[in-house]
Amino acid sequence: MIQPQTLLNVADNSGARELMCIRIIGTSNRRYAHIGDVIVAVIKEAVPNMPLQRSEVIRAVIVRTCKELKRDNGMIIQYDDNAAVVIDQEGNPKGTRVFGAIARELRQLNFTKIVSLAPEVL
Amino acid sequence: MLEFVRSRALRLLSFSCSSSPSALQQWRQAILAFNRAVSTSSKPNGSLDLKEIEKVLSDVQADNVKVIPVQGMCDWTDFMVVATGRSTWHVRNIAQALIYKVKQKQRGAEKLWMPSVEGHEGGKWIVIDSGNVIVHALEEKARAYYNLESLWTSEMLTKGPNEVPEKALLKTRRKNNSKKSAPKTV
Repeated sequence: MIQPQTLLNVADNSGARELMCIRIIGTSNRRYAHIGDVIVAVIKEAVPNMPLQRSEVIRAVIVRTCKELKRDNGMIIQYDDNAAVVIDQEGNPKGTRVFGAIARELRQLNFTKIVSLAPEVL
Repeated sequence: MLEFVRSRALRLLSFSCSSSPSALQQWRQAILAFNRAVSTSSKPNGSLDLKEIEKVLSDVQADNVKVIPVQGMCDWTDFMVVATGRSTWHVRNIAQALIYKVKQKQRGAEKLWMPSVEGHEGGKWIVIDSGNVIVHALEEKARAYYNLESLWTSEMLTKGPNEVPEKALLKTRRKNNSKKSAPKTV
């Protein structure tokens, strides 16, 4: 359940460390974003000497949420943190590697690029 | 129907071997095997196989085509094909050629199955996901930047296949830290 003002970790090596959600992309009046949604975010904290700077506005895909994800077969997946991967306008990831486990649902939602960079798919 | 069978089987599996760590191991492997079986058995008949993909890629003159078998490293696909295009137009043409081939193969079929295509507008990195084979068509710079081959050949080998941490599948009861004394039972 990501809403504007939520802080998220960054699950890639793009150079950002912490993001703050400021808008959910897709519909006009949506309250929460879940895994696989694209958000507009501000970089709150960045790694020094990297292309991304603090207070830059970027797009990101949510890959992990503390709110549990339910599957049709009864499986429930819940992560310990809220995390996102930085992408550009075309949907290419900014970083070259994704860290941590990500959910299989991202592939159905047309984020195969992120899935193929990830070390582990649950 | 398939989903139902799958959930049923998962439940049975979890029921039959619940206790002891070796059973957990068994259970996890069974789940992985089952997931793979379901994902590969539900393969649509229009999807391309490796030979056809290689033929199409050589016809459109994609450079440096590399086929990486990834069955042992991940359970969501079997093969990754990486190809380079000379420009964004060329990369888009590679994708178009593959889609055209899929359509040709299903000519006359009642329902057309299409692979999911991602990144067609940009043309720097296009992914064609046809179930058990995933084709990455990249521009030269993008290929050097993302370096997919090294990710799927060396980096994944060092990690080992499908290491799900032991704790991930176990549910632990939260520790009771409250100072209150337990209510007395009369």
